[in-house]
Amino acid sequence: MTRILVIEDDETTSREIAAELGRRGFEVECAADGREGLVRAVSGEFAAVTLDRMLPNVDGLTIVSVMRTTGIDIPVLMISALTEVDERVRGLRAGGDDYLTKPFASEEMAARLEVLLRRARALPRETLLTVKDLELDLVTREARRGGRAIALMPTEFKLLEFLMRNSGEVLTRTMIFEAIWGYHFDPGTNLIDVHLSRLRRKVDGPGQEPMIRTIRGSGYALNAAS
Amino acid sequence: MLRPELWRTTTFRLTLVFGAVFAAGVVTLLGLVYFSAAVFLTQQMDQIIVGQAHALQDVAPAVLPERMRQVETQDVRNVYFYGLFSPGGAWIAGNVRRLPQDVPANGIPRELREPGFQPGARAMAERLSSGEILFIGFDAKVLTGLRLIILQSVIWSGALIIVAGLGLGAALSLGPLRRIQAVQQASLPIQDGDLGARLPISNRGDEIDMLAGIANGMMDEVERLLWAVKSVGDNVAHDLRTPLTRLRAQLYRVRQETDAGDAHLGMLDQALVETDFLLARFKALQRISEIDRRERRAGFAAVRLQALVEEIGELYEPLAEEHGLTLVTEADMPCEIQADRELLFEAFSNLVGNAVKFTPAGGRVRLVLTKRAEGPRLEIFDSGPGVPEDEREAVLERFYRGRNRNQTPGSGLGLSIVAAVARLHDFRLALGDAMPGLKVTLDCWPVAMGR
Repeated sequence: MTRILVIEDDETTSREIAAELGRRGFEVECAADGREGLVRAVSGEFAAVTLDRMLPNVDGLTIVSVMRTTGIDIPVLMISALTEVDERVRGLRAGGDDYLTKPFASEEMAARLEVLLRRARALPRETLLTVKDLELDLVTREARRGGRAIALMPTEFKLLEFLMRNSGEVLTRTMIFEAIWGYHFDPGTNLIDVHLSRLRRKVDGPGQEPMIRTIRGSGYALNAAS
Repeated sequence: MLRPELWRTTTFRLTLVFGAVFAAGVVTLLGLVYFSAAVFLTQQMDQIIVGQAHALQDVAPAVLPERMRQVETQDVRNVYFYGLFSPGGAWIAGNVRRLPQDVPANGIPRELREPGFQPGARAMAERLSSGEILFIGFDAKVLTGLRLIILQSVIWSGALIIVAGLGLGAALSLGPLRRIQAVQQASLPIQDGDLGARLPISNRGDEIDMLAGIANGMMDEVERLLWAVKSVGDNVAHDLRTPLTRLRAQLYRVRQETDAGDAHLGMLDQALVETDFLLARFKALQRISEIDRRERRAGFAAVRLQALVEEIGELYEPLAEEHGLTLVTEADMPCEIQADRELLFEAFSNLVGNAVKFTPAGGRVRLVLTKRAEGPRLEIFDSGPGVPEDEREAVLERFYRGRNRNQTPGSGLGLSIVAAVARLHDFRLALGDAMPGLKVTLDCWPVAMGR
């Protein structure tokens, strides 16, 4: 069972994170103090860490940079009430893999953590992504589904690559917007939806089993288990 | 703004009014002196005339002409009129050759109004016992002289008062005027939104200082209240977001656990949509204060605008297509500015998002990047209903939504975010008429440069 360490001094938030991750089948341990969190994070027992930016004793930035300098490269999802862009940059520069601002929706947090875990497991030098009968060649930049070639625009290519690399995971609109366009504001729901429906029209041809699923109230998933 | 002008100042006007009153006083005083003197002199003249008549009326008729000649020669000042006329009015003796018609022979002195005599001259006529008519008069030389003196005094003193009044008024007004100009200068930043600026106060403690002090006190209060309101808004947005997020999480969980056939599914979905809408609103509110709080130029770097505009065009093209619109990007010239790339992108995104949202199907949205002498200008034209001229300022405020736009979803904060980004960069944001439709102009150069 995948073990996740939650370093968070706010009890309610901590409970919320633990509940959501527990529901998704993770084994969760919580640390409410920076020093304790650091000791456990470097213990090597965990697959990933959610890390509050501000903690008693040792702060989040220090924890993540100590982890990185001691060679612990498990995914770290930083969670903070500080929304400023510089804070995000600082968090990622210190070694965090993703940055989520409070307050957050639990499923957004979980979705991000799952994507991070997935990325950590992925083979580093994949050149051909395959999900069922869908193929994406990252070198020739060609996509095919069941032998049918799919012509993709650059954005659609990036979108499909992101979906395929995280197939089966729920990807929220914010995650997609951040990953493909690299911006961190709220673009409004429709904007991302139309890009996905365009891609869907190309990927899910007539008579083929739909692969891109809309997860209501949440986001999208490629080939997710129904 | 009203330019301060010398003749509009209170001091200047007061000095002028004071001068006018003073001049009127002088004229009245001199007039009174003249009047009193004239009355006194007339009485004197009448007494002299009556005295002379008494002296002559008892002289024997035979020697009277001779006597009159003597008296006449004694009058070295040449102020007396003498005349002796026959009962029929024919001249017998004296320096008056013709009996003035308006002087009846009744022995009462009166004014001589005949031409040939100075105004104010007095005379009397008397019928002697011999039946001849004796005419005695006294010229008004003194009175005329006096009148002349008074008139000259009035003219000279009047001129002096007016010139001195104008000069004094100007001199007195100049000081306050300079200080008013200083106040005006100091108030410019306040008008531009810098609520921390204050009006200058000298150490004199005069009325201008008092007014400046009152204005500064009011500014303190306005600033304090504004901060209070702002922080209340921020805190409310912040405090409500956490429970709202939890509420949404609960709703979401319930929805996940509800079976596909359940009648409550639609209601749960609707509740989720509403909660998301609320959350988006609070997020946007916080975002505006966050942008407003941001240190100017903290995240500034070189931004290639052409690429940014093209990126926006690409991002919105599918959405425009779904709305049945044509989205055209015209950005031919590469240009680079110092800006916060993320925020600028967010602002452009809001503007294009609005244009797409409010333009009916079949319409057109154009993104045009042009190079002006001062810097690049981004214009977004749509063929939608536009914004009435009287609403163009208001739509940039938080929560304002056009009168006819209530059926369109949105937080009503998109343009406020754009305005906040423009404020941070000191760029000018203006709404105009695209005839038909709305034209939004963002001048990507610091407004302060043009000032």
